Amino acid sequence: MIRVQDIVKRYDGTLALDRLSLEVPQGAVYGLLGPNGAGKSTLLHLIMGFILPTSGEIDRAGLATARIGFLPEDTFYPPRFAIGEYLITLGRLAGLGRKEAEQVVARLLAQFGLEGETSRKLGTCSRGMLQRTGLAQALLGDPSLVILDEPTLGLDPGGQRFIREQIRALHHAGKTVLLSSHQLEQVLRVCTHVAVLNRGRLVRSGPLDEMLAPRRQVTISTGALPPSMAPALTALCPSITITERQLALTGDAVVCKGKVLRMLLDAGVDVQHLSEQHATLEEIYLEATGG
Amino acid sequence: MSRIWVLAMFLLRDLFRSLTAAIPLGVALAFALIAFEYGMDQPQFVTVAGVAMAALCVLNCLLLAGRANRGTSYAIVGRLPRRSELLAALVVSSIVLTIGLALATMVGNLVTGRLTLGFPSALWIIPTWLDLLLLAAALALPLSPLAARGGSHLAGWVFIAAVMVAYDQQARLQTQGLDWVVRAVGVIAWPVSTLLSQASAGLHGRSYFLALGLTLAYAALLFVVAVESFDDKDLLWAE
Repeated sequence: MIRVQDIVKRYDGTLALDRLSLEVPQGAVYGLLGPNGAGKSTLLHLIMGFILPTSGEIDRAGLATARIGFLPEDTFYPPRFAIGEYLITLGRLAGLGRKEAEQVVARLLAQFGLEGETSRKLGTCSRGMLQRTGLAQALLGDPSLVILDEPTLGLDPGGQRFIREQIRALHHAGKTVLLSSHQLEQVLRVCTHVAVLNRGRLVRSGPLDEMLAPRRQVTISTGALPPSMAPALTALCPSITITERQLALTGDAVVCKGKVLRMLLDAGVDVQHLSEQHATLEEIYLEATGG
Repeated sequence: MSRIWVLAMFLLRDLFRSLTAAIPLGVALAFALIAFEYGMDQPQFVTVAGVAMAALCVLNCLLLAGRANRGTSYAIVGRLPRRSELLAALVVSSIVLTIGLALATMVGNLVTGRLTLGFPSALWIIPTWLDLLLLAAALALPLSPLAARGGSHLAGWVFIAAVMVAYDQQARLQTQGLDWVVRAVGVIAWPVSTLLSQASAGLHGRSYFLALGLTLAYAALLFVVAVESFDDKDLLWAE
């Protein structure tokens, strides 16, 4: 859906993005990770068209900026406007008629638990309410791509959970979500794909499952194994490691876990313990960014 | 068009919910009280108040553009098919505000008997001033930090100041042998000066309409300059 090709962005001699290429598949929840100043917000602003690349191309598959929902990083809201009034204005800017905008905003406010806060001034809202309002404004006009810059920044656990649920709902509705975050746990819970940026360069990217898989390990502790078991187990799962009382499945081999267990149980082997470990996103992140 | 109107009204509401609104209100009030102290007839009103309202329109557009030049505009610009719609909304909102203040000034001074207008000839004020306000608002755009790039607005301000000083010091420039400067400034200022002098004299012939058209062309040109500058500008709003 979004293809970023060899993008370079300089600000007054400072290199913000360095020949970065990235593809965001349709329907993905794509998380951008990276330390402060890595270029995450710059990339999101480039995709939104707020800034222009020094060189390179961004293909948005014909999607106009007005068809992209955007939640800015900071709380950029006019403080003296009421929530409802502000959203209705933005809805009308998104091409909705007055009545339609009122209906859409009423529905979104209910969806985001703000139905009783329509006339509350934005300047008196908590961080959580502003973030809900921001997400509601991003969804005005039913965008097919939603860009969220640090959506859970500064939110309490309840607020973070709420935003996660909304992102999952967007994913289930077939929307493409591109988000930046420092909160690895959040990314792990909602993202299907991840890219790690460091100093303006893309250092890791891909489906989250594939990133974590090579580090995944399943260890099965057993009683004594009959000698005939080892060849059968190796035939079932070539990369299995067998020691006297322990079996280890690493990386892609973990998908054999069920079959191996069934074979062991069918052979009457005493299965005493099964533990599953995988690399954390934090490990991958720290490795990619050099700590 | 309806999107530009919605945005213009949003910009005006935003202005009037801030202390910044006191500036145009205060300037208009000061002008209404001071300039009309000894009364004003229609020819004076067309020129003096016309120039003052054009200056007020520049101020209004700069104030509105200043408020639009911040992070709250990300959500707005992100919804517009073209960035130029924000500039168009700034022109509309600054003209609407100036017309409101001009009407208040006019009605207030008519009621207190400090202004005399003859109808229907006074209706010629409408196209004359509307043209001037369009030019004023379009002029303010490239002079605002919102649309300017790399200090281009500062160069614009220097140019405007130079033209105004030269226009004011024509006699001195001629005595110093700088006739070409006087002629150049005369050519640049011809549409606006002719528009006002013709309207003030109650003449609405070929010169008036030519000046009206050229002033409109100036406004269109300045708007295009602002759009060209703003369209591929990096929007780096921090608050």
